[in-house]
Amino acid sequence: MKKAVLYINQFFAGIGGEEKADHAPEIREGLVGPGLALKTNLKSAEITHTIICGDNFMGSNTEEAIAIINGFLEGIDFDIFFAGPAFQAGRYGVACGTICKHVENTFGVKTITSMHEENPGVEMFKKDTYIFPGGKSAAAMRKDTKKMGILGDKILAGETFLEAEKEGFFVRGIRHQVWREDGVEAADRAVDMLIKKMAGEEFVSELPIPKLDRVPVAPPIKDLSKAKIAVVSSGGIVPVDNPDKIQSSSATRWGRYCIAGEASLKSGVYKTIHGGYDNTVANANPNVVVPIDVLRKYEEEGKIGKLHDYFYATVGTGTAEGEAARMAEEMIPYLKEAGVDAIVQIAT
Amino acid sequence: MKLEIGNFFVKKVKFGDVTKFSKGIFTINKEEAIAYVKEDQHITDCDIVITHPGDETRIVPVKEAIEPRAKVGTEEVAFPGVTGSLSQAGLGRTNALKGCSVLAVGKHWGSFGDGLIDMSGEGAKYTMFSQLVNICLVADTDEEFERHNAQKKNKAIRWGAHRLAEFLAKAVENEEPDEVEVFDLGSITKRDPEVEALPSVVYIMQPQSQMEEKGYNVLYYGWDLNQFVPTLVHPNEVMDGAVIGASYMCCSSKFSTYEFQNNPTIKRLYKEHGQTVNFLGVIMSNLNVSLEQKERSIMVASKLAQMVGADGAIIGEEGYGNTDADFIGCIVALEDMGIKTVGMTNECTGSDGKSQPLVTLAEEANAIVSCGNVSQVVELPPMKKVIGELESLGRDGISGGWESDEKLGPSVRPDGSIIMLNDSMFCGDHVCGSSKKTVKEF
Repeated sequence: MKKAVLYINQFFAGIGGEEKADHAPEIREGLVGPGLALKTNLKSAEITHTIICGDNFMGSNTEEAIAIINGFLEGIDFDIFFAGPAFQAGRYGVACGTICKHVENTFGVKTITSMHEENPGVEMFKKDTYIFPGGKSAAAMRKDTKKMGILGDKILAGETFLEAEKEGFFVRGIRHQVWREDGVEAADRAVDMLIKKMAGEEFVSELPIPKLDRVPVAPPIKDLSKAKIAVVSSGGIVPVDNPDKIQSSSATRWGRYCIAGEASLKSGVYKTIHGGYDNTVANANPNVVVPIDVLRKYEEEGKIGKLHDYFYATVGTGTAEGEAARMAEEMIPYLKEAGVDAIVQIAT
Repeated sequence: MKLEIGNFFVKKVKFGDVTKFSKGIFTINKEEAIAYVKEDQHITDCDIVITHPGDETRIVPVKEAIEPRAKVGTEEVAFPGVTGSLSQAGLGRTNALKGCSVLAVGKHWGSFGDGLIDMSGEGAKYTMFSQLVNICLVADTDEEFERHNAQKKNKAIRWGAHRLAEFLAKAVENEEPDEVEVFDLGSITKRDPEVEALPSVVYIMQPQSQMEEKGYNVLYYGWDLNQFVPTLVHPNEVMDGAVIGASYMCCSSKFSTYEFQNNPTIKRLYKEHGQTVNFLGVIMSNLNVSLEQKERSIMVASKLAQMVGADGAIIGEEGYGNTDADFIGCIVALEDMGIKTVGMTNECTGSDGKSQPLVTLAEEANAIVSCGNVSQVVELPPMKKVIGELESLGRDGISGGWESDEKLGPSVRPDGSIIMLNDSMFCGDHVCGSSKKTVKEF
């Protein structure tokens, strides 16, 4: 039998309502409150422990609450983690999301919760844990815990390819390809969709437009002659032996290379490993992608204050947006530490 | 414009004394066929290998696929501007060997846009080309200038495959086809009132044209789509050899010549024409790199759609990443004009599925058919036989393969099993319309 842990708030533990919302985290062996309903729908695991925490305690002392709960969990074995259901209770929903996200990241076990679609916890945490759309109040307890239990059994049985639409949880922005069971070809889907769209009938896009993540334009540099400038390029310019083994497409790796004292990037010392463009010109003169020659001249002329001692490189072709964002996050501390004021970003 | 395609249904292909078709069996005189291909002196080494669906065979690096076609009763060629001089495509009679394709396969060397086909097993579902009898032209060439480049024009092998496809279809010149398909679509402005009363639809194609240098891109009557502005094209031209596939583009996103010849979206629009829609035709656009070129093509393509009176449009892009800007930009332009638009594309969501699916998106793009995800990691067992060279998958810069990876290991393992991205399944996302895949939330 596998082991499960359930997180609930002070109210569902029977400790009290608003007046007890500062209740510090505690752990009890066995089932408390909603655990009884969840137990009847969870076939493959025993709920060995219940963690109880006041909603205000979690909301106001989040780090402390997490640290205490972490301490509890480090002492026990568990294969899956549940929280809630939180229904329409906003603070409870956020608490369930907070703890699920933490447990999933720290202990590597899957976490499942449930809350009403208007609960703010949905938007905040749907990408971090499985959240089922739940009822408005505890009247939906049996229905909501049933969905949680069924998914829990599937996860514990080793199923990894769980489709949001089929299982019923909120979409998490995790997209994978599947073969349609009806085998309908894309051409037919497109023409049928167009006929409906032109007729003003309802249709379902296969790629719902997610919330767009726009980066605001940075404020301009006030005095370029005092600014330290760095080059970050997705054009694949690397030392000829490609020491960081950056892939020529769909890159997940990057490198930074010292150019202190170099007047330009020499052909034969640097080359491009980018798979997405004709490399002839860039290999003959790597400066066309990473213009160290021109920037060095600007430095001498005093147009810019200083050129940073390293340039940063990866490959942009086919590189997923998430990987690019991660690589940027990894580069930023180096740039900040060196006091870089601005970067020139060069794509190809 | 009226085109008749005489279909010969091929169930089996074998070698024999005479190149001919009889009762579903196509026989190839191998020596003759090879001699014909070798008339191009750039082909230094070549073989023809036949493989059928269900064979335990892996084919890589595959550069192009062509349905064998030949014009009937004329000197005109099947691929005007490519295998011979220019002539008007989309008219008259063309013979087609159905159920098979000629594949251009590198004997050793792969390139960025090449792909892989498994003829059986788990891998077979990743591309419809596993369902065809494949006549593989496995060749090496004297193109030393690009031998070790990831980007290759692959001209000699691709042209060799086009010529071979036409050579084979010539063998049925005097035979009665099993079936004749008729594609007849007249002038846009002189149609029956009942047809004109239906909502008018254009199909906008955005084939690959990102390479500035000639020789890598999709060709229209032999003309490189990089130096091109969108133009109105008769759907019959697309299906009758006026357009050939590119060497460039990550393979699962690629439109092979076979998929231009058999474009399922055009065929479905033909079927709906006069029933539910008034099919106006195809607007052939492109996918260039610089912003001005993108904006020019978007402007011209959407204006053409408006000029011909389109109420609706279907638009399909051959690519992802940079090309998403052209795709989304054109959808926005069309919707701004009041033209209801459906987009066909694939996605790039990263190995964890969490990345933004296209590099740019807009709320106007509210009707998308998603044909696959380039990022999916695919692991496949060894196959008994390899046509081409398996090492090319990891060695030669094929977009979905790699030489080494600290977590996943090399793409090609010593036992012949492989791990790669869906990105390089040969034309696997079938954005022209035959994809049975979609992308879902998990």
